[in-house]
Amino acid sequence: MECNRATALLSGMIDRALGPIARLRVHRHVAGCNDCAAKLEELRAMQAAIRTKLPYHRAPPGLAARIGAALPREEAPRVARPWFRMPAFSLAGTGLAGALAGVALTLLLTGGQNDPSMAVIGSHIRSMQADHLTDVLTSDQHTVKPWLSARLDVSPPVRDLKQEGFPLVGGRLDYVDGHPAAAVVYQRAKHVINLFAWASSGKDEPFHEETRQGFNIVTWRQGGIRYYAVSDVEANQLAEFATLVAQGG
Amino acid sequence: MPQDDRRRRFELLALPHLDAAYNLARWLAGNTTDAEDVVQDAYLRAFRYFDAFQGGNFRVWLLTIVRNAFITWVKENRSGRMVFVPDTPVADSADNEETMWGSRPRDPEALLLESIDSQTLGRLMEQLPAEYREVLLLREVEDLAYKEIAEVTGVPIGTVMSRLSRARLGLRKLWLQQAETEDAHGV
Repeated sequence: MECNRATALLSGMIDRALGPIARLRVHRHVAGCNDCAAKLEELRAMQAAIRTKLPYHRAPPGLAARIGAALPREEAPRVARPWFRMPAFSLAGTGLAGALAGVALTLLLTGGQNDPSMAVIGSHIRSMQADHLTDVLTSDQHTVKPWLSARLDVSPPVRDLKQEGFPLVGGRLDYVDGHPAAAVVYQRAKHVINLFAWASSGKDEPFHEETRQGFNIVTWRQGGIRYYAVSDVEANQLAEFATLVAQGG
Repeated sequence: MPQDDRRRRFELLALPHLDAAYNLARWLAGNTTDAEDVVQDAYLRAFRYFDAFQGGNFRVWLLTIVRNAFITWVKENRSGRMVFVPDTPVADSADNEETMWGSRPRDPEALLLESIDSQTLGRLMEQLPAEYREVLLLREVEDLAYKEIAEVTGVPIGTVMSRLSRARLGLRKLWLQQAETEDAHGV
């Protein structure tokens, strides 16, 4: 492969978007070409800079309510009150956080019992309200793990996966689907991944993936612990994350 | 189905992605007021066409609508001003990736992209043509796969790949120019 051909593929290379043959050929070329190797490094640095430093514009407070008010309502309001008038909303007081609280409440009401997937999505959404993401905010795995172990009957593996692209953010105690649960929080670009873990006896079970309410979920059982990873990151990224966790567990 | 049920299902699916929708609109429209209008319009459209959602990734579906709402907004509010110029690289149109990299020796000092601050990066991003800006956002911020970016932007996957490549090189070029200016001013 020549430089000009390889150069055109470097961007796809850092996105892991190339097919196996193209990837191999670029690999081989880069191994023997300092110039292209330097370009590849530079693209990686740039990707990391954009992912960590590009300003993220969160929806301003009030936008959710404004949209809620603009959505058509053709029938008279019934017993179920719209989310933007729910007490949680007025208590929380501000836009998205309040809206999400409303959503989380509705999820709990409609998701019903015995649907752990909906329960973890509810917890995931609630966790993203302001100040609820972590009880212990640190990327130090040696702080998060003992903190959780001291408070729960399970000791889930906690590993900073920063090198692998999933930096550890912290941990918190949660209550999911009737279980006290450890929630270990990771990040992928600007997205939050909640890893829930609770004691669950039985044989190990392999990964089960599903998509619900726009969120991806991977669940498995390993060493007497039930795991749920939930996030809005791409399904294959979440599977990659789950694989890393399972390898450490 | 009663309207309220439909509405509640919609809110459950759509509201958790409000930040993602707003961030994309904000980067495309360039200011808060217009971004809010675009997002509101997008959510109303999404609600109208909600029954057409076939399952799959709701965020991808919603971001597609946000992008379309933005294009409509541009047509209505910025008549005559083209925002999406199809595949005009920041450099000359005849450039390929190799020439876009440039022949000047790469100065490691100038290229410390790790040292760039958020504000500068944001400003450079705003200078990129919209069709580059959007693929970079969808890839690096929304973490979408090429296939999903193709769905949102309505172009083939091969075009997504080349646009991303050119977007990165375009941003790099802007960064180099910025670094040179700073040097010239002795900053």
